[in-house]
Amino acid sequence: MSLYPLRLRALPNGEALAVNDSGSFFTLSPAALERFERDTLNPQDEGYLTQHGHSLDENSSFDRMSHAYCVAERLDQVGTLDYLILVPTLRCNLRCSYCQVSRADIDQHKYDWSPDTLAAVLDCIDAIQGDHIKIEFQGGEPSLRPDLIQAVIERCERFAHRQFVVCTNLQCIDDGILTLFDRPDCFISTSLDGDTTRHAIHRTQSEGKTRQFFDNLRYVVERYGPGKVSALPTIDASDPPPPESLIDAYREFGLDSIFLRPINYQGFARKRHKHSREQSHAWRRYYRRFVETLIERNWSDRDQVLEESYLSICLRRIFWPGNERHVDLRNPNPMGMDYIVVDHDGTVYPTDEARMLARSGIIDLAIGDIVSGWDSERRETLNRHATNQFDPTCQHCAYQPFCGRDLIDDLARYGRIDVPRTETEFCRRHLHLFDFIFELIYSDDPAVRYSLTRWLRLPETPVSFGTMLE
Amino acid sequence: MIPLRLSAFAEADRPFVVRLGSPSGQRCGDAVLVEAEGNSATYASKAGLFTIDGVAASGLAGDVLLIQPREQRAERLIRATSPHNTLLVTERCDQLCVMCSQPPKKTHVDRFALFEEACMLAPENMLIGITGGEPTLYRHQLFDLIERIYRTRPDLSFHVLTNAQHFENDDIDRMLGPAYARVSWGIPLYASQSALHDEIVGKRGAFSQLLENFAILMRAGARIELRTVLLRGNYPALPELAHFVASRLRCIEAWSIMQLEHSGFARRRWASLAVNPRLDFAPLREAMDWSFLHQMPVQLFNIPRCALPEDYRRFAVASISDWKQKFLSACDGCRERDLCCGFFEWHPDQDECAKVTPL
Repeated sequence: MSLYPLRLRALPNGEALAVNDSGSFFTLSPAALERFERDTLNPQDEGYLTQHGHSLDENSSFDRMSHAYCVAERLDQVGTLDYLILVPTLRCNLRCSYCQVSRADIDQHKYDWSPDTLAAVLDCIDAIQGDHIKIEFQGGEPSLRPDLIQAVIERCERFAHRQFVVCTNLQCIDDGILTLFDRPDCFISTSLDGDTTRHAIHRTQSEGKTRQFFDNLRYVVERYGPGKVSALPTIDASDPPPPESLIDAYREFGLDSIFLRPINYQGFARKRHKHSREQSHAWRRYYRRFVETLIERNWSDRDQVLEESYLSICLRRIFWPGNERHVDLRNPNPMGMDYIVVDHDGTVYPTDEARMLARSGIIDLAIGDIVSGWDSERRETLNRHATNQFDPTCQHCAYQPFCGRDLIDDLARYGRIDVPRTETEFCRRHLHLFDFIFELIYSDDPAVRYSLTRWLRLPETPVSFGTMLE
Repeated sequence: MIPLRLSAFAEADRPFVVRLGSPSGQRCGDAVLVEAEGNSATYASKAGLFTIDGVAASGLAGDVLLIQPREQRAERLIRATSPHNTLLVTERCDQLCVMCSQPPKKTHVDRFALFEEACMLAPENMLIGITGGEPTLYRHQLFDLIERIYRTRPDLSFHVLTNAQHFENDDIDRMLGPAYARVSWGIPLYASQSALHDEIVGKRGAFSQLLENFAILMRAGARIELRTVLLRGNYPALPELAHFVASRLRCIEAWSIMQLEHSGFARRRWASLAVNPRLDFAPLREAMDWSFLHQMPVQLFNIPRCALPEDYRRFAVASISDWKQKFLSACDGCRERDLCCGFFEWHPDQDECAKVTPL
């Protein structure tokens, strides 16, 4: 029997995970693995492989078409521009030690959009086709310029589907910004590093500012409900908070999604948190312990389902080909196409991290500016390498169909994109994460199975999340 | 039950298609209501006078009728106020499904021209069902119908029930045309084991032909609604079918899993064919769970909502057409009645499946 290529990954107990180009997967028992190696498949094996689309009969157009369809479905479709990350000001009223964007002081000049930049952003919005738009306001602290946010939002009334996210430190909420928050299409994203002590270490640094933040967070959660607000912690991997206390800090505000991020090796963090260039085994152990704690919590208290946001994104990518639109993990991952970043000076970057790199003086990855456009040769150069499909290492990796490609991350850490994949932080992080997720997928623990069910938004826990060839 | 066939008396001697006007809605070319009395109405049309008996004129306003003077009969081809209009293009079929609700006949009367006239008169944006027998036994005429109507009425869309045994590679170019974006093909697949599927449809080789024709439809970018009727024979294999569908038929727009209809062959074979998800939900649940895990769009037809556990009810569609739908007296107090499919008019009230528990 002819088979489509399967990539294997050894599992600890002598079993193996097999994944095809479309991401269809199963595990092999040691006995089944041996039958594969010796080419002595039995009728059950052949039946299984045929039913699940792994076999190829040269005379069957169905075998070829159904496989081709699944592979195509697995590739992310990148559409036209409908997502803007806007930086109306680089000024900020906090001085976080790990600031990735190297923000400017609050009373400095020339770090806000000029009238010309605003006009060009509005023109850009007018030129967007379709009835869908998402805009994220980044900074600096964007709430320092509610007038600019308002001008942008008002220009978007014509879109049937619109979503605005204001990424704010919530240090100061005045009537101007509150009027914007009151809109049902406007959402709040903030940073919450843990309890008050934790939050103060790298962010607020004073009791007054800490209290101000927690009061404001409570205020918006009470005023709008937790569905309006999302928060993420930035973790100092050399001194992470106990998972329980971090989870409690989020639960206190009804926040159920926690994006557990170590300090990003960008901006000020490159100097002040040098160890953040690579994450250690200790971090990965911590990450794992954190997710295990979430699973236990979900099992013992069914009232709330907590998730680690990135794990959920990766999990859904496995089961929902083509349906998860997280721009930080996709393949292919062309830049400057469906989303762009417009900086405080009107410069257009392909990603937020690219903006950070330019600001740190590491490499200028600007692809244009909002006035004259970004359909540039630079963008084309970047996009020649925006896929993991032909990477010599990824080609052998069982997780390639689920994984992504992040050129900017490689440039940020290594200054080049041709470092062997397995020697990059991106690869190590995702190998670890997908290993962990497949361990969860094949777990018999009812608590694990319950959390998977909820993270995948299923009505009930299925008999299994993955099959095995015995 | 809403009558689809009415008695009619007409001056004309040949069949004709006509849209019935009404005092409040009269379009150019419509038959004009001349006289109405109780359930009888007389109209004037280009084909002469005719009288329709059985339904009050107000209930027929805007309907498109096929009047057959010799048979003294009128068929309500398109009811203006109903979302469930179906044109039966032939009663011939090359399969002989064990539970067929409309057993095939050998004879064929070509009515494509009349159907084309009827579609041209249909209300705006209507979805029209095409069924048989097997409509694609006459697929070139069917394609002609679809394309000609698209040229004049691009607002209409079609749902064609077909066993998909008769598509050919040569059809691909044609089916890539814009008219077919308005067409979805409802195609039955009963099992992922060829022997089992072939046995159910009464045709050897049907399964492998179907798979090859799925490849044709995929290349044509055709919109496919997969249909599976639950039977004693295929119910235990339903989870395996779900694996097959989630792995190999990811192109489908919907997978409709449906309860058997108590008519045709199924009427006398009911005891040996019917399954009751109310009593045994496990295979259906396993199939649905696997499908949801892989984001396959499952919907349940002809299964009353009270037969399902709460978490699965939202996938049950009010699938039974208005003209053949009924509810039982026990359904009266049910708060989900409006969302429910109810029962086929001809479903026996004493049957196990009809033991409802109002929600």
